[in-house]
Amino acid sequence: MTRVLIVDDHSIFRSGLRTDLDETIEVVGEAADVDSAVARIAELVPEVVLLDVHLPGGGAGAGGGGAEVIRRSAALLGSTRFLALSVSDAAEDVVGTIRAGARGYLTKTSSGAEVSRAIAAVAAGDAVFSPRLAGFVLDAFGAVAGEQAVADDELDRLSAREREVMRLIARGYSYKEVASDLYISVKTVESHVSAVLRKLQLSSRHELTAWALERKLL
Amino acid sequence: MPRYDRAPLLRPRKAIVGGVCSALATHLGFPVSVVRLAMVVFALFGGSGVLFYLWLWAFVPLAPALTRVDAGAPVSRRAPVGALLLAAGTVVAGAAVVLANSATTPFAAIVGATLLAGAAVTWSLAFDQTDATRSARYRTLVRTLGAALLILTGMLLLASHGARPDAVTAVLAVLMIVLGAGVAAAPSVMRLWTELMAERAGRVRQEQRAEIAAHLHDSVLQTLALIQNRAGASSEVARLARAQERELRDWLFAGTAPAEADLATQLRDIAAAIEIDYPARLDVVAAGESAGPVNPALVAASREAMLNAARHAGGEVSIYLESSREAFDVFVRDRGPGFDLTALPADRLGVRESIVGRMSRAGGAATVRRGSGGIGAEVHLHLDRALRKESPQESTGGGPA
Repeated sequence: MTRVLIVDDHSIFRSGLRTDLDETIEVVGEAADVDSAVARIAELVPEVVLLDVHLPGGGAGAGGGGAEVIRRSAALLGSTRFLALSVSDAAEDVVGTIRAGARGYLTKTSSGAEVSRAIAAVAAGDAVFSPRLAGFVLDAFGAVAGEQAVADDELDRLSAREREVMRLIARGYSYKEVASDLYISVKTVESHVSAVLRKLQLSSRHELTAWALERKLL
Repeated sequence: MPRYDRAPLLRPRKAIVGGVCSALATHLGFPVSVVRLAMVVFALFGGSGVLFYLWLWAFVPLAPALTRVDAGAPVSRRAPVGALLLAAGTVVAGAAVVLANSATTPFAAIVGATLLAGAAVTWSLAFDQTDATRSARYRTLVRTLGAALLILTGMLLLASHGARPDAVTAVLAVLMIVLGAGVAAAPSVMRLWTELMAERAGRVRQEQRAEIAAHLHDSVLQTLALIQNRAGASSEVARLARAQERELRDWLFAGTAPAEADLATQLRDIAAAIEIDYPARLDVVAAGESAGPVNPALVAASREAMLNAARHAGGEVSIYLESSREAFDVFVRDRGPGFDLTALPADRLGVRESIVGRMSRAGGAATVRRGSGGIGAEVHLHLDRALRKESPQESTGGGPA
């Protein structure tokens, strides 16, 4: 059983999601705004927090929304993982939430089964990349323009393999399909995706922020 | 209650100066010429006619527009009042200069010339600006000449009496020059002001739009997402909700879309159109800069591939567009039963002709293969950017898989 907290300001969405999730997931609580979400996370310490990107409440200086919830719960990032769930597919929301520390990003039109799978993946420490997020990553790291990391630990560019994996995910492949297509194991795919997520969170690449700002909403 | 069978006292929209005389004539039932003559006669008695005219002009309402189109239409005035005032101003200014050089005091003439030139410019700014019968050149001319008249007269007055005018004349002359400079600068100041106001209004509108967008984002889009979720991905209701969501998004963020439709936008539009007709969800992901001219063959082939996937496979269809500096790559992936190009019956022209044939004629390549793990199919279209302008030529496209 994976213990999950749902944070969303729309009660109808929370209850809908609750009934849609499969039986391996236990919803331990719900929260509707930034402050109550932070309090509930500290109190319940769920394994996974399903987090809406746009939330009411929270301090003006802390950024607001889901990103603020993650930042204020930073002490728990080791035990609690965040999966962003939003109607927005805007670059600034996606990149902003991931950089705050979320392990994945799904749009709200994802089915209950998809969300359940993503929760399991995030709980196991993997990253969840939708095709759209993979597209963003390819764009943001200049991978489409042919930029490639020389060293493995380089944060500002993707390695050739990571680029391949991202391209396949953008094409709608599941991790398993990516693995069989590239003749590597699923575990390797997952580690590549986690590496990309780490780069996305830690890179100080100028384009990442500038690009997200400039594109505004897609 | 007594009844008056009189026309209402209204100023016509097509007038000579203010339309006061014709309004009075219509109202009283007198001929216009009689009313005008009376005005002129009264004007000779200490200017009472002029005062009466101005008073009526200020208080008699304007006739309502005949058609709704005219509602905001300005009044047109036949008499070139600006030019007339300017001419009168010139004459008085001349008299003032002459008087200033002879012994008599020219104060009344100076003030008169200033008032007339100022009135000419004011008229041009207030009335001729919105009058369709006055050309922009005429307006500029009146304004420029008004400013020139003020400055020139001021200078001539300063130079009177061998450059030694008396004190009052000198003060009035300097005032004239300052006023003239002001008139010369007036149009650009006015333009600046209007621009400032327009910019401010635009910003307010932008803010309002952003606020509406934020609100709709939080409420309506959430509901539409929920409907899609609850109704099942490919049901009729979900498709309707998805189409609505798309439209709403387009409307909300209309301002940020580039004017010229790039390839990514075109693919999204095609996906939206297909979703309405088929029980499928087409997700378009684009990476790279897809701006620039678009090869119609690539668009048509992509469309055919997407249509095929929606028609024969349905469900989730992933479209990925990668626009590198050298080439466009479009991947269309479905999770249907899949098909084998070599085993395809000859009558299935769709794939063979519309996709593979079309791409190779355009100098690109198309490959169709089974999806990973034997599930569904994936169509890959490849077209070099450099080739997009060359004449169509046959080439055997292998294309990277």
